[in-house]
Amino acid sequence: MQEKEAKQLSGEMIQVVSFSLGDEEYGVDIAQVQEINRMVQITHVPRAPHFMEGVINLRGQLIPIIDLRARFGMARAEHTKNTRIVVTEIGSKRVGMVVDAVSEVLRIPVEQVEDAPEMISGIETEYIRGVGKLGDRLIIMLDLQRVISASEKRELESVDAAVPEATAVS
Amino acid sequence: MSEEFFDREEFVQYFKDETDELLQTVDASLLRLESFVDADRIDPEIVNELFRAMHTIKGSAGMLGFNEVQELAHRLESIFDLLRKDRMPLSQQSIDLLFEGRDILTALIRALTGEAIVPEGVEGYMERLESFSSLYETAAAIVGEQSESKSGPFEERLDASAEEIAAFEAEVARLLAGPDGDRTAASAVGEPLPQAPALEHHGDAARPAAQPRQEQRRNLSQTIRVDIERLDALLSLVGELVINRTRISDIAATLSRSLSEYKDSAVNSVIEPLAKVLADSAGLLARTTNEIQEGIMKVRMVPIGQVFERFPRMVRDLSKARKKEVRLEIHGADTDLDKTVVDEIGEPLMHLIRNCVDHGIEEPAERLALGKAETGTIRLNAYHEGNQIIIEVGDDGRGIDLARVRKKGIRQGLIAESDKLSDREIMELIFQPGFSTADKVTDISGRGVGMDVVKKNIARLKGTFDIGSVEGAGTTFTIKLPLTLAIIQALLVRVGGELYSIPLDSVIESQRVEMSDVRTVHGNEVITLRGAVVPLLRIGEFFGLGTARDPEKVMIVIVNMQGRQVGIVVDSFQGEQEIVIKPLSDVIGRITGISGATILGNGSISLIIDVHSLVSEAYALGRVARAEYAAV
Repeated sequence: MQEKEAKQLSGEMIQVVSFSLGDEEYGVDIAQVQEINRMVQITHVPRAPHFMEGVINLRGQLIPIIDLRARFGMARAEHTKNTRIVVTEIGSKRVGMVVDAVSEVLRIPVEQVEDAPEMISGIETEYIRGVGKLGDRLIIMLDLQRVISASEKRELESVDAAVPEATAVS
Repeated sequence: MSEEFFDREEFVQYFKDETDELLQTVDASLLRLESFVDADRIDPEIVNELFRAMHTIKGSAGMLGFNEVQELAHRLESIFDLLRKDRMPLSQQSIDLLFEGRDILTALIRALTGEAIVPEGVEGYMERLESFSSLYETAAAIVGEQSESKSGPFEERLDASAEEIAAFEAEVARLLAGPDGDRTAASAVGEPLPQAPALEHHGDAARPAAQPRQEQRRNLSQTIRVDIERLDALLSLVGELVINRTRISDIAATLSRSLSEYKDSAVNSVIEPLAKVLADSAGLLARTTNEIQEGIMKVRMVPIGQVFERFPRMVRDLSKARKKEVRLEIHGADTDLDKTVVDEIGEPLMHLIRNCVDHGIEEPAERLALGKAETGTIRLNAYHEGNQIIIEVGDDGRGIDLARVRKKGIRQGLIAESDKLSDREIMELIFQPGFSTADKVTDISGRGVGMDVVKKNIARLKGTFDIGSVEGAGTTFTIKLPLTLAIIQALLVRVGGELYSIPLDSVIESQRVEMSDVRTVHGNEVITLRGAVVPLLRIGEFFGLGTARDPEKVMIVIVNMQGRQVGIVVDSFQGEQEIVIKPLSDVIGRITGISGATILGNGSISLIIDVHSLVSEAYALGRVARAEYAAV
């Protein structure tokens, strides 16, 4: 039914993989999603940024895992049987994101995607590409590049912060 | 041969790869051959090797229809054949002619793949070569005739042929000079061709006969070439194999456990033997998978000697051009490192060696005046340290003249007159783009490209680059590169529920120590080990893993860092294992104390402890006191 509505407006659609974090629904461009996995053993990496859950072994490759809840400053949740790791590939980088549950692949008409409002439930808007409307559902479309690169930036900041401390002690 | 049936481009590439290797061998052998110039006897194995290499190139080129390459290889082969049969004396001129030929051959082959333009003067060179070898063929024939006709003593024969030899000599000098060969012309006039040794050889009846060709060629086909991407593809497939292997092992274990619970069942008698077979097969599968995995990893490792091979020739040519006496010493050529790193390191090393020849080593007269040996030495050294490979390029030349570097830096606007710089900072100027101390530009260096390129290339390989220099005594460049995909021996330890790997080469020993033997210095825990005070580092606490302290004992891995010992406290030791270093994703960033990770046989991940950064940071943060001083 939703698809029918969309086609009436325009032929152009974007395909997104939608998943949930708490009560909110998020979406990422399907072209950036490599695979969706059940929860596996995550190896903790000490002294990594707090939202860095650790690394997993994906068929012989080490994939860093971001806890998306921690990334967005939400309370961490216990992993359940619905918890999934969404493995994304942006450029040459592969990153896994822990999400509460993956719902489905959606087709959203381009006209139905609006720019991000100023503030959405405490998440810094820089990660948000827009908000897609589908019936009465709101899908927060993520800019994965930002999600990942900002994590690098923050990491660098924390390293910089650590330097004066180290020199002060010695 | 019809071109429709094979991919010509692929064959050309294959031909080029094969000949590249052979040309390296030719270079190395020519250099060795050069040491036999004017000697009484030539090591026949060297000439044989050259002959075989040229013969192979000729054969392959002929097969693919590269007529010019084939022709040149053929003529060079003839020269080696003459040398092999002692029909030609080995002079400096002939060596120079052969080196020239080798270079033209290289250029011709490069031109095939469009990497270079077809060199000029190939025909002229071939003519000179042809006349040169035909001359000796005739010479040999005449000498042969005379030794047959005359039965007198050796001296008489020598006299008889001296006249003809003198005539050839003149002819040879003329031919060597060639239409555009100023360099060879000059040297040809200066050094007469030695004739006596050749004749002596000729008279030597006991000389062993040349080996059959088939046998000589066999050694050349012991290796095959594989695209590295194919290896990587295999490697990730093996990764999947490992996971499935673990699964099958688990199923086998579960099955035998379940069976033991239904001991009386009739089904049991059927399934139990099957379960046994399954368990055996799973075990075999596990072993084989491990071996495949290790095998593929090792295939990726190549000795750095592959890169070093080209340098003796380069140093020879450079030192000749600069009229310097330079000897190149190579150590650690068999040090293994990853293929991708080997491919990238050649150019930076080339720049460094050029720099040593051009700026480092003094001219012979200057060296003698300084009381140094006339011949300068460049040392090229490679070895493993921790999970790094260290490559040193050092010379015993004049060292870096800091005052001069500073002056040039000011003149080139890199620093201001008023800048107060430490020696170290002045040395850093060398890495600035465009910096050069050379007063005039030579074809070797002085154009201000080089050191900044070196630094950039090494940074790209995630390595570090350092200069040590003592004025008047020499300069040493040190390159440290991580072995991004290397296999190392590691000690596996358990800390806070996770397995960590400590590279074994930084481990001195591991032991259990009673808490009663642990004392404190300035609030830091230490133990005494054979009289030395060793500070302890509780890695679980350092990493914030929330590990509880054992009130009775500590399990300690003693590691060495730049001569200092530190005891890393872990929960338990889990044995030694060969591991493959994989870098942590750059999404995570650099983490102090962790250099990478490895995937263990059962598919689980173990982080690799970077002893160096861990211990330095622990010192810096005051987690480990400089107890060795405090305790004295």
